Amino acid sequence: MPRTSLIRPPIIAAWLVDLLTPYEQAESIPGDLLEEFSDLVSKSGVAIARRWYWRQSVKTIGLLIGIGFCVAPWSIVGTVLGGYLLLAFGASRSWVEDAIVGVIQFRRHHVTPYYSNLEMENYVFWLNASILIGHLLMSLLIGCIVAAVAKGREMVATVTLGFIWTAIVVKAILVLVTRHWPEQAFLLHFLVDQFGSSGLIVMGGVIVRESRSAISRRRPSRV
Amino acid sequence: MPNRDYLGEFEHIVILALLRLGDRAYGVTIRQEIEARISREVSIGAIYATLNRLEVKGYVKSELGDPTPERGGRSKRFFRVSAKGMAAVNRTHRALQRMTSGLDVIERYS
Repeated sequence: MPRTSLIRPPIIAAWLVDLLTPYEQAESIPGDLLEEFSDLVSKSGVAIARRWYWRQSVKTIGLLIGIGFCVAPWSIVGTVLGGYLLLAFGASRSWVEDAIVGVIQFRRHHVTPYYSNLEMENYVFWLNASILIGHLLMSLLIGCIVAAVAKGREMVATVTLGFIWTAIVVKAILVLVTRHWPEQAFLLHFLVDQFGSSGLIVMGGVIVRESRSAISRRRPSRV
Repeated sequence: MPNRDYLGEFEHIVILALLRLGDRAYGVTIRQEIEARISREVSIGAIYATLNRLEVKGYVKSELGDPTPERGGRSKRFFRVSAKGMAAVNRTHRALQRMTSGLDVIERYS
């Protein structure tokens, strides 16, 4: 067996290509890149081949999202719209906050009564931190749901939803800042909550996609 | 009413590459054929985005080959031009010929 077949392409680039390739092209695009990479390793050396692989991957990744969208535009639009409604519902209703406040109040009254300022500060800190974590977990869950529904196009759907949510957040920040510069602590909490949500929506897509890939690797099937 | 659906520039190039390659046309060979003939480095993503668009229009058809070890056990996707695709190539080619006939700019600037 030739030695070049043992040299692998850059791990992160190969992972991103695998992750973003639509189900229909899951064999052909990563396979084509690997084949040309192996050829280039034997002809021009590893360093040039790796640079070529990175260049091709970066150019290809954006287009892969476009391909995923073109293959099934209405299914992507429907899934993203559903995800957006779930996010909007989650953001507009205070049930996450209510549940967290309920748990903390229960601890306060029935387990640990507050007597000092320090304990009160601790209470406020844990209340804010719990609400933030609750929101982020909700975004992760919505990302997983969207990815599960957009079978084969998990990353296209979650990246699109993440971009839409980020655009809405940026607009909200601009409105907020132009009206009245918010308190620093509030702004930081808001930024972590909202941008973290966008990131975790995409992370939900990664989790579902990777799980499906692992299952399909165990049970190989042809497209 | 005449069919006015002409091929775009890159679509035209990709279909001509498919016709040149015959039954050897898949991502790698198409990319290399274009690079060798017109010295244009294109990404594999650009090739597949165009092929996908052509397949949706019914101009090309594709099928999976067998998995090979040098591709990490992944299959090649072979493409071929359909009858509808051939008609589109001819239509585009004739339109270009009609538009360029009688012009000496091509001779002058080549």
